[in-house]
Amino acid sequence: MSCEIKEKDRVGTVNPIFTCQPAGAQFVSIGIKDCIGIVHGGQGCVMFVRLIFSQHFKESFELASSSLHEDGAVFGACGRVEEAVDVLLSRYPDVKVVPIITTCSTEIIGDDVDGVIKKLNEGLLKEKFADREVHLIAMHTPSFVGSMISGYDVAVRDVVRHFAKRENPNDKINLLTGWVNPGDVKELKHLLAEMDIEANVLFEIESFDSPVLPDGSAVSHGNTTIEDLVDTGNALATFALNRYEGNKAAEFLQKKFEIPAVVGPTPIGIRNTDSFLQNLRKVTGKPIPQSLVRERGVALDALADLTHMFLAEKRVAIYGAPDLVIGLAEFCLDLEMKPVLLLLGDDNSKYPNDPRVVALKENVDYDMEIVMNADFWELENRIKNEGLELDLILGHSKGRFISIDYNIPMLRVGFPTYDRAGLYRYPTVGYGGAIWLAEQMANTLFADMEHKKNKEWLLNVW
Amino acid sequence: MPHHEFESSKVIPERKQHVVIKGKGETIADALPQGYLNTIPGSISERGCAYCGAKHVIGSPMKDVIHISHGPVGCTYDTWQTKRYISDNDNFQLKYTYATDVKEKHIVFGAEKLLKQNIIEAFKAFPQIKRMSIYQTCATALIGDDINAIAEEVMEEMPEVDIFVCNSPGFAGPSQSGGHHKINIAWINQKVGNLEPEITSDYVINYVGEYNIQGDQEVMVDYFKRMGIQVLSTFTGNGSYDGLRAMHRAHLNVLECARSAEYICNELRVRYGIPRLDIDGFGFEPLADSLRKIGMFFGIEERAKAIIDVEVARWKPELDWYKERLMGKKVCLWPGGSKLWHWAHVIEQEMGLKVVSVYTKFGHQGDMEKGIARCGEGTLAIDDPNELEGLEALEMLKPDIILTGKRPGEVAKKVRVPYLNAHAYHNGPYKGFEGWVRFARDIYNAIYSPIHQLSGIDISKDEVPTDSGFLTRQMLSDGNLSEEVRNSETLRQYTGNYDSVSHLREKEYPTFEPKAAAGA
Amino acid sequence: MKAATTKKERVAPPPATPMDDKVEELIDFIMKHCLWQFHSRNWDRERQNEEILKKTKQLLCGEPVDLSTPSDRCYWVDAVSLVDAYRERYTWINAMSKDELAQLIDTLKARLDYLTISGSLNEELSDKNY
Repeated sequence: MSCEIKEKDRVGTVNPIFTCQPAGAQFVSIGIKDCIGIVHGGQGCVMFVRLIFSQHFKESFELASSSLHEDGAVFGACGRVEEAVDVLLSRYPDVKVVPIITTCSTEIIGDDVDGVIKKLNEGLLKEKFADREVHLIAMHTPSFVGSMISGYDVAVRDVVRHFAKRENPNDKINLLTGWVNPGDVKELKHLLAEMDIEANVLFEIESFDSPVLPDGSAVSHGNTTIEDLVDTGNALATFALNRYEGNKAAEFLQKKFEIPAVVGPTPIGIRNTDSFLQNLRKVTGKPIPQSLVRERGVALDALADLTHMFLAEKRVAIYGAPDLVIGLAEFCLDLEMKPVLLLLGDDNSKYPNDPRVVALKENVDYDMEIVMNADFWELENRIKNEGLELDLILGHSKGRFISIDYNIPMLRVGFPTYDRAGLYRYPTVGYGGAIWLAEQMANTLFADMEHKKNKEWLLNVW
Repeated sequence: MPHHEFESSKVIPERKQHVVIKGKGETIADALPQGYLNTIPGSISERGCAYCGAKHVIGSPMKDVIHISHGPVGCTYDTWQTKRYISDNDNFQLKYTYATDVKEKHIVFGAEKLLKQNIIEAFKAFPQIKRMSIYQTCATALIGDDINAIAEEVMEEMPEVDIFVCNSPGFAGPSQSGGHHKINIAWINQKVGNLEPEITSDYVINYVGEYNIQGDQEVMVDYFKRMGIQVLSTFTGNGSYDGLRAMHRAHLNVLECARSAEYICNELRVRYGIPRLDIDGFGFEPLADSLRKIGMFFGIEERAKAIIDVEVARWKPELDWYKERLMGKKVCLWPGGSKLWHWAHVIEQEMGLKVVSVYTKFGHQGDMEKGIARCGEGTLAIDDPNELEGLEALEMLKPDIILTGKRPGEVAKKVRVPYLNAHAYHNGPYKGFEGWVRFARDIYNAIYSPIHQLSGIDISKDEVPTDSGFLTRQMLSDGNLSEEVRNSETLRQYTGNYDSVSHLREKEYPTFEPKAAAGA
Repeated sequence: MKAATTKKERVAPPPATPMDDKVEELIDFIMKHCLWQFHSRNWDRERQNEEILKKTKQLLCGEPVDLSTPSDRCYWVDAVSLVDAYRERYTWINAMSKDELAQLIDTLKARLDYLTISGSLNEELSDKNY
């Protein structure tokens, strides 16, 4: 009985769990107000990422391409960046922040994006856009390094590094949420409000869930402003909720401005949310109010209805973003469930030493596998050819056919969840997230019991 | 030339050459936008890349193939599960995609060894599949991996497998269209003619430029089978790899999407003397005409006519129910390439709609010639509209519906223009007689959505009726109809099933005696 | 990839004739209903227009049509379809003499060649390869 952490033993990828770094940088870009990123590479690197954002959120987000074509690939394409910046700024008068996001192609051909930015800062911006505040930010996100997760991490750091200034230190905290949904941001802001803590939330993406208005004026875009970003340097502390999605920025702020960094735990489940609130209390000195005691109690009340009777012993496979996967596994354990297989979609060498992973290795009392650099075949092959039995899958929509073909109920969680309606609206973090997750897991199992006529009569009384 | 300049594109004046409004009495020799030129960087175009044009659009619909992209995982992930091209083998090609997972060390030291390991692994994981397509990506093109050599090596070591190599990196051309071209030429050069098929009919076609979106191909193949025609291959939706190796044995190439697949038809004509017949699978009259022509080509026109009669009798009253209610509604057409001309005229003729604009994402001037030839005066034609132009045009034209992709559809939603997915369809298939009614039904449902009607009301200003708990589509659509139409006993709404395709897979077809046997 | 600057030489439209209105109707039908006139290269368009309209003329004039090769049959089906539509939609065509029909189709072809080839603004028509 043990928890084993290993690498996928094949070299190739059958059905990838993650996309590549530029997607993470693009997710950061759309979180910033008055910002349109330019992805320096082929057009597909933008078009498909915009598509998957729009599939997940059922909204459109603006991102531009330098449209690398054959000539650029042969002779270098720095000129395409210069032209892209000029065209973009000329046509979008509100744009102030322009991340320049590199890709595999432009990293391989060796385009000097930092040099181009310097040139543009001294030339084009002074000459043509002198009256305008414009920030060009290089983000090096070659696709052959890391994954969408590290791309996000790199991009948050690059943005913070560009803007952060320590001018008027204040009592705010920086809250780096990681790659989350509008529902998560809303829940986190709610917790902070109950604690009476002012926070600089990176990124303010509640507005991704935007309306249709009678005058047709609504657009979907993040709301983190330049002022917010500058202000990250004045904070009392930085809370990076996800170790792999924001930690680099927290480390930067700590090194540069000696702003203490609190990294994790991802506040998924009751226990991790408790830790988050404790950390907040310790850093700010603000007490945890009765309202949250009550809210926690409501959550525990809901969970108590589910755990022993329905969730206990259920064997779960979880895949997706590492902080999400680990957080969900921890919560599942609290719910008496058995996460038996965790799939992390990239090869980050820090995973084995992650204290949460170490704790799993030391304490799990049944067979659990954690696979790094995993693809979906690691899951499917175990089910199809190695006799893995599962009661539930937790993960994003790209794994949907495993659930469908092997008749295993699946709760969509993470990014992207395009094959279920509106999931981005609900939290997975905080006490609210704990309720949502547990109840959705239970309802998913209930629907499966009825669908398969597997003790469906159990629910006659409950 | 009647060019139109968008306010939003004044700073990129070359864009003016890409936009025309067809004026009174003007022809395609007067009005034609530029097309298939390099994209203006930073303009926020909708175009994809040549890798996706090759792998995602044309390669992947091939159903019995391991589709492996040689590069980092992103290209593979991004182009996976974003299409609705189904297949009758439980959607193998939709479910499985493969990446060689190129990492930094491979960029530095080369990734050929990695590729070979990948190929062997993939065949091992899926022992029932013996065919593979390998797609180059930007990264592996730039480091110069010799994919062909590796494929040859594996084929020598594993004689039971066959591997196709498509070298079409993302940067190879102004849009995905560059990839369509590259894979057409690569396929005919590498694979056509190296397998001899079993010929089971006197009438043998390749069905080309058809991607089985929501079952389009299966609907059309049903007609062909009812006519006793052997469909040797479909390029490529629901098509099999080995069928496509035998394309040289067909008597006729029946071509739908000339944009993406005319290259291979042209080459097949030049190299093997197979004639090319361009057809329209959309719309009653064009489809009937197309089936009839195919029948005539083989001397079996009466078989086509019998199908047309049955299908028209079955579905025309339903099409006309919608036509009465869609009369005069304004449509923006913004498909990828071919649907702009497939649909431009016939949705006016057969659904009563008014096409106010035709855009293309990746079309060439040839597509705009066809599109502009088929639409009326005053129609706005835009080559590769960018984000701001698209919005400005919506503001200018105020259409009742836009037929476009998922993401631009979300933009349209915000300015309260309902959208229908032109690429993947809402509830297709849209080809075939029944499919065309489904298309009309989907357009009707979008335009007369009670929710769409609500979105125009400003509760802070407008007088909101307090005595109505609901509206129906028909309450919205039937107000101005004549009594006769409203109470017609012949017209009716769509009566088909949610799934109009799966039953075709179990269908039995009549056997026709071969000519040789009949003559003996 | 073609350069943005290449401009092909355009030929002036053929001179107007008394048949113009009728020809325009016939042209409009082809434009809205047919695809055969829009192959992607000059040489293909020339051949398509030539062969299909030759057979169209033969059918209209009641002359024998050569169906000896698959290509001939393919041109022929487009021609039959066109002739049937013309006879049904433009009934005046049924009253024309052989000579008039021959002249009509010649004029039609000249106009179609202009619109799709010599007067075409499509810069890809002269590409050497498919």
